[in-house]
Amino acid sequence: MMPIAINYDALNLVTLAPMLVTLAGALLILIIDLIKPNLDKSLYVTLTILTLFIAFGATTSVKLNSRGLFDLILIDGISVLGNLIILIGSILFIPLALTKKRFHEFSYPEFFAMFLFMIFGFQFMVSSDNLILIFVGLETASLALYPLIAMHNTKPSIEAAVKYFTMGAMAAGFYAMGSAALYGLTGSVELHTIAQVFQERIHEAGSIIPIAGAALLLLVAIGFKVSLIPFHMWTPDAYEGAPAPMAGYMSIVPKIAMMVVAIRVFSLYFDLNITLIKYVIIALAIVTTTVSNMMALVQEDVKRMLAYSSISHAGFIMVAVALDSTKGYASIFMYYGLFLFTNLGAFAMLWISRRKTARFHERYHHPYEKFAGMIHKAPIAAVIMAIFMLSLAGVPPFSLFWGKLYVISAIVDKGYYTVALIMALNSAIAAYYYLKLIVYMFLKPAIVKDGQIVYANRTLALQTVIGFAAFVTITSIFYIQPLMSYITKLIVATHI
Amino acid sequence: MQSYLYIALFAPLVSSLFAAIFAQQKKIQLVGIITSILIALSFFASVELLVYLMQTNKIVHATLFDWIVIGDMNVKFGFTVDHVTAVMMVVVTLVSALVHIYSNYYMEHDKSFNRFFSYLSAFVFSMLVLVMSDSFLGLFIGWEGVGVCSWLLIGFWYYKKDETRDVNPSISPSWAANEAFIMNRIADLGLLIGIFLIFWNVGSLKYNDFFAAIPNLNHGLLVAIGIALFIGAMGKSAQFPLHTWLADAMEGPTPVSALIHAATMVTAGVYLVIRANPLYSQIPGVGYFIAVLGTFVAIFAASMALVNRDLKRVIAYSTLSQLGYMFAAAGLGAYWVALFHLAAHAFFKALLFLSAGNVMHAMHDELDMFKMGGLKKYMAKTYLMMGIASLALSGIYPFAGFFSKDTILEVAFNEETYGIWFVLWFTAGLTAFYSFRQVFLVFHGDERFHELGIHPHEAKPYALWAMAPLAVLAVIAGFFKEEFVEFITKFLPPYEMSEHTEHLVWFFIIVTMGIALTGIFIAYKKYANGLRRDPKVENSFLYKLLFNQYYIPIFYEKAFAKPYKELSDIAWKEIDQEIVDATVDGIAKAVEVTGDVSRRAQNGNLSTYLKWMAFGLIFISLIALISVVVK
Repeated sequence: MMPIAINYDALNLVTLAPMLVTLAGALLILIIDLIKPNLDKSLYVTLTILTLFIAFGATTSVKLNSRGLFDLILIDGISVLGNLIILIGSILFIPLALTKKRFHEFSYPEFFAMFLFMIFGFQFMVSSDNLILIFVGLETASLALYPLIAMHNTKPSIEAAVKYFTMGAMAAGFYAMGSAALYGLTGSVELHTIAQVFQERIHEAGSIIPIAGAALLLLVAIGFKVSLIPFHMWTPDAYEGAPAPMAGYMSIVPKIAMMVVAIRVFSLYFDLNITLIKYVIIALAIVTTTVSNMMALVQEDVKRMLAYSSISHAGFIMVAVALDSTKGYASIFMYYGLFLFTNLGAFAMLWISRRKTARFHERYHHPYEKFAGMIHKAPIAAVIMAIFMLSLAGVPPFSLFWGKLYVISAIVDKGYYTVALIMALNSAIAAYYYLKLIVYMFLKPAIVKDGQIVYANRTLALQTVIGFAAFVTITSIFYIQPLMSYITKLIVATHI
Repeated sequence: MQSYLYIALFAPLVSSLFAAIFAQQKKIQLVGIITSILIALSFFASVELLVYLMQTNKIVHATLFDWIVIGDMNVKFGFTVDHVTAVMMVVVTLVSALVHIYSNYYMEHDKSFNRFFSYLSAFVFSMLVLVMSDSFLGLFIGWEGVGVCSWLLIGFWYYKKDETRDVNPSISPSWAANEAFIMNRIADLGLLIGIFLIFWNVGSLKYNDFFAAIPNLNHGLLVAIGIALFIGAMGKSAQFPLHTWLADAMEGPTPVSALIHAATMVTAGVYLVIRANPLYSQIPGVGYFIAVLGTFVAIFAASMALVNRDLKRVIAYSTLSQLGYMFAAAGLGAYWVALFHLAAHAFFKALLFLSAGNVMHAMHDELDMFKMGGLKKYMAKTYLMMGIASLALSGIYPFAGFFSKDTILEVAFNEETYGIWFVLWFTAGLTAFYSFRQVFLVFHGDERFHELGIHPHEAKPYALWAMAPLAVLAVIAGFFKEEFVEFITKFLPPYEMSEHTEHLVWFFIIVTMGIALTGIFIAYKKYANGLRRDPKVENSFLYKLLFNQYYIPIFYEKAFAKPYKELSDIAWKEIDQEIVDATVDGIAKAVEVTGDVSRRAQNGNLSTYLKWMAFGLIFISLIALISVVVK
């Protein structure tokens, strides 16, 4: 019997380095807890950030377009971009655990270990074109994320976690069916091989129906994760149940991971000139943006409003996936890169004002009334919040204006004028509910007596995160050009 | 030399921003001092540029950055210092620097001292952008910039209430500021149309590109551009029928009147015509119209100044009248003469206004000259300065105004436009009369202010020192005429008098001096020995007509403002509320109802959610099917 010879060069373990770092960090936290329990959370926060920074360094040092681990791992431009956004988002998120008020989940070291496991899963999702590995990554991440929500340990959060889990299981089913269909058609689970087989078989009669059907099944799973309507149902409940920073985090990191998968899967179809997928994606995106905008309009709670607004942003950006152009793909990462700071900043502003119990509304923690007259009580906080709102509304010169600008110009470049118009109109509707908060903050008489209410949960860590997010949001005009050329460079280097 | 250009241009900007930092705070004396120093710095840089230009005859260029790059349109934000610009820069920065220093005195008790200096410096910066730009677009930026600063400064005491005065139904600083701004906006539309026409037909807004393209453009187009640009000039330089704002602008602080509404900004229109001389020399018809309009404004404004009792308004009308002179000269093709009068006028008119400022301070802001008199005993130095300025304005040898005004009259004669010559000549007499009517009413005769319980006092020495350079220039500026001509005609077309006119030079001098002296003499007779009011004259139709500014403000009110307001009312109540608002509200309601309906789907029930997901698959399959079928 021949021994199995493994060529270590072909394994190219360097490509695995970013994930391994995260994994090691997670295990380290668990081990520390085993040896010496009841350590302060600030240690775990620091460890987590440290781990993420090392992973960040590892990600940037991997050679572009290299494969490893029996060709399961693929490090190309979009995987690097995806990884960077995931890591930056996580680094920005985790200090928000250092609150003044004591919240249940952050006192467990498991929270941080699980958090790192989740990132580990996302890293695999974006760094592979193997459908099974993507699936494993997706499920690892999801299974870690559900308890992270539930650990908030309130009734809504447990309910949200259960709902998310159940629907996630169904979405996983759709994903598995889609992958199985592709495997059945081509005998492979690797996207680049699938593409080759499709190239040969596309002209066979009747092949288009199973090929397209597989795509639709995958689209359901993807639509679930990036919360496209009507697969979004879990989103508002989960965002409401989860603590505010978690909600902000969920509106960015899991979505960008899934976006990368979507780009990999659907660019394959675009190369085959199967245009119906394009139309389906655009239709879904339009429905998502429009309906979620309208629902955001009628919300009474700022956090729920932000939840719906995140859905509408996701719909907005989904159009760019269907454009099949370098500029379109680049604008996705650009948009998420900017959205990350603004949205996480906005959610963190809610977090900073959080108390253990809701004082202004029987159900909601952050009704609009709470922010009335904030400019008189906490002027700096009001101004920063207003800046985030203006950025979300796409008002120049704040960061998301550029994001919207690039997306819409990518749409126009492709000649989809109607789509561009619908998206622009949607931005106008969206401006209404963002400005509503500003009106409350600046023009309505205050109902709270002092500024303390706004700062109930304030610590230096939270302030730093918010200040940094605000800084990035405001100064976008200075870095937008180099950022865009960096992203475009990476996109061009990717074979999609 | 570029660094001098940047210093001259940006020192006022720095100055303005510096003062702006303290705008909301209480008076800080240092702000006044530092801004004055920075403007003075700008002046010295301007002088350096002028000297350089004199010695080397090289035009200085500087491109700041690519400003607008859209498709084929590439507009560079560039500056140039040529001969005309250098003269304008020196005049503007000199008067500005002196007015800044003077304002330290005039505004010393104002609670918004710092804010004032911020605006004033911002004005200087805008004015420099206007004169230094190398393209029409840059000129337009400066043009709007000075408009905004003028608005800010006229309305500086925005908190003063509306009051009824003279012919105006209601007037206040903020009202006057709005009037000035709106009138200028109307005229700016003309300027913009001119700029559009240029860009449309030439493809560039640079002066040089446009002037080079003039021979290839057809005559009708040139006339259209010429008229459009001149409409812009009419607004800024307050030419009839857009003249009413200038007199009302006197609501602003007096240093503002001196700097903006006499010496610099209002001459921007004249500058534009001088700058566009290659254009206007191709369209003599338009030029002639400009000259006629200028002549008309000269006598029209002078006639109103004859009877007005408001100290500052008289000077404002005289400014109008002198602007008319400048346009007459420019319109007749004597561009350097117009520029010369512009410069000389800037010096003595600023001086006149600052003197008026001293008088106002002494009189506790009383402006009615009928309530003054005999002030020379109390304010000998101001009397001297105002006397010099008035002599210069009247065109008495050897003061500055004599040389410039006399040359304009010679030009009018030389062009054989004897009508223009006669009117301007007669206006010179009126000018002398009202100038000295003012001097005598204020400084001579019986002391009528005692009834008001006022104790007049002379201005502070440094304020008088700030005025001194202007006084010197008002006396001697005329003697540099030869050097000026030699310098400026390297850039502007020379203007040669015919031999016939040359022979008559002495005749002109005598005739012009004659009528000016006559005017002064009549004023002396009538006003120097106390005020004797004659009800018969004051009730005569002519007097009332002049006193009420030909009833033009009332006409504007009745003919434009009232109908416009009624129209606005209809647009608001009938169109906006009934149609536009209802539609918008309807859309918003529909959106909200849709949101409410879709919210019901979000009922918290997990089974429903799962059903929706399954439905979603059917939904996207349907879309896929449709997209296949439709294709």
